[in-house]
Amino acid sequence: MQPAVDITELYAAHRLSLVRLAVLLVDDIASAEDVVQDAFAALARRPGAIKDPSKALAYLRVSVVNASRSALRRRRTARAYSPPHALPPPTPEDTAVLAEEHREVFVALHALAPRQREVLVLRYWSNLSEAEIAAALGISQGTVKSTASRALAALEKIMTTTSGKEQR
Amino acid sequence: MSTDIEARLRDALAARADLVRHEDLTPLATVVPLRPRWQSPWVLLATAAAVLLVLGIVVQGVGGRERSDRIAPQPDGPTLEMPADVGRDWKADDLSRPARVDLDGDGVREKVQFLSEKTDDYAGRVRLQTTLSSTGEESWGIAELTSTIGVTARGAIDADGDGDEELVLPWEDLAAVGGAGHPLVFDLRDGLLVEMLAADPDLLQSGDVAVPGSQTEFYDLVHEQDWWIKGGQVWSSRSVNAFARGNMTLLRPESIVLDTWRWELGDDGVLRPTDQGCAEDSTVEGRHDCDGDQADSLPAVQPAATDTIGIGGEVALDDGGLGYRARVEDDGSGGTLVVDGPGADGLVYALSAPDPRVSTVSPTYLVGFDAASVYVASAADPAVAEVVAQTADLAGLVALRPVGDVPLGTGSDSDGRAYRTWLTKAGAVVTVVEAEDGSWDSWQWARVGGTDIAALPTGRVCFADVTDPSSVARC
Repeated sequence: MQPAVDITELYAAHRLSLVRLAVLLVDDIASAEDVVQDAFAALARRPGAIKDPSKALAYLRVSVVNASRSALRRRRTARAYSPPHALPPPTPEDTAVLAEEHREVFVALHALAPRQREVLVLRYWSNLSEAEIAAALGISQGTVKSTASRALAALEKIMTTTSGKEQR
Repeated sequence: MSTDIEARLRDALAARADLVRHEDLTPLATVVPLRPRWQSPWVLLATAAAVLLVLGIVVQGVGGRERSDRIAPQPDGPTLEMPADVGRDWKADDLSRPARVDLDGDGVREKVQFLSEKTDDYAGRVRLQTTLSSTGEESWGIAELTSTIGVTARGAIDADGDGDEELVLPWEDLAAVGGAGHPLVFDLRDGLLVEMLAADPDLLQSGDVAVPGSQTEFYDLVHEQDWWIKGGQVWSSRSVNAFARGNMTLLRPESIVLDTWRWELGDDGVLRPTDQGCAEDSTVEGRHDCDGDQADSLPAVQPAATDTIGIGGEVALDDGGLGYRARVEDDGSGGTLVVDGPGADGLVYALSAPDPRVSTVSPTYLVGFDAASVYVASAADPAVAEVVAQTADLAGLVALRPVGDVPLGTGSDSDGRAYRTWLTKAGAVVTVVEAEDGSWDSWQWARVGGTDIAALPTGRVCFADVTDPSSVARC
């Protein structure tokens, strides 16, 4: 029995958007590509999952989020157990071509806890509903809502603080 | 609601994502072969015969040592299985990445390649192939993973502290919801990469592990478990408490306490849990060492949603952005609920509650897809609590049917125990039932199939005043 969906087609259709999702989570394009490659590899191990395009894409999205979190965790471990909030912001090369107002947001975004960043990226870039985010992250809708709310507040606070320091 | 910070965030994310273009991506080969390739039955037969022959010769036990790669068999030790010399002609999968591990402890990391057995379902074995830098000799091991595609080591450890490294591969249960698995640890012994054993394998599992005998009609209880590598060691964790799991729902507090273990490798090739410690896992902050307050956070029973509308009222529901509106019209004999929004164009439902009160917050926990849901109480009868939700085909509204032993509403059960039900601002319907000692058993309602809802346990709590959910405290 042939699968109804060709994984090569999925790869061609969604690789770029998934790499973009991953780069928002893991900072750099090389790691993002690795993460997405792993996600497609994981999908290929589940022949049943590729019979339904919508499920396959949802599966890929979850894989990318989980693999991104693992990549960040491995990176933290490699950096001598720095605490979760001590992840360095994106390198200047990564964000040099971003407009200043975007760069400020992005630096603040990377100061958030991983789960907060995931929720914000899925909500404001992937445009997922709270139910879809809850399913993707394996948490309740209520937690999605509260996490998003706290994350936005934290983001604003960080940006305000940073802006204040720069002005001084 | 769209605020300035939301708009700025949306723009910044889009701008950053747009920096990644097709031409920036590394040209790569196809992810996997899409169809099983034809394989000669003669090749299969020959391979099978070779496997049987080799297995018959080389399966034997090995045991203790001074250094793990220079060991002598120990008659009384547990039996490790020496790897068969099969798969020399297997090929590395395009997505597999070699590992770099100092297997022989000479300070030079060996390159370990993962050669995949070719099978129709990609569920064959993997040959770990390397050349030892200290001797120039070939070494190999055999791993049985759930897939031969994209084999990647999780890392290297030195669990026996002998100065050389062991290779760790993840075994993953690909069918488990939320993921599950355990590590496979390979150590260089007698010049071969031998898979180590675990003294208490249940503690080295990851995923939601069911508590034996906890299965009920609507839920079972599970411990959350995990394993990871830190500081050159394998660690694992298990939640101290077990949590209710039902119909794809796991009800765990936001922060839970974990028992943790470091796994030490003995001379006999057995990993044993040691250094029992404590960690906390937060759905927001992730996992970190215990900070003194070693207790799960309280079940999410508050803050309660108190804003309602009655007959003649209309509201944009707080439903996480789904965008539904509800109003209660006077139909002469009572109230009629009318819902508008995506896929709902003036859906109506006749409310039976006297002087109905519709919460402005939607009980979104009870809807498994993007659809309207409404929590209804009564200003005239505190016993009434009802959840009305859009049907799966979005064509109408239906009252969800409570099933199981826990009552929905407020009152006293047949045993004289008081119970109270309310909706939280997060959209969860909560019922607490009085226990004998004045504490309260907390339950949260979850969809258990069709239009049925059942209460799942979330823990025991105390209240200074049970009519005020914000007074909840640990008992």
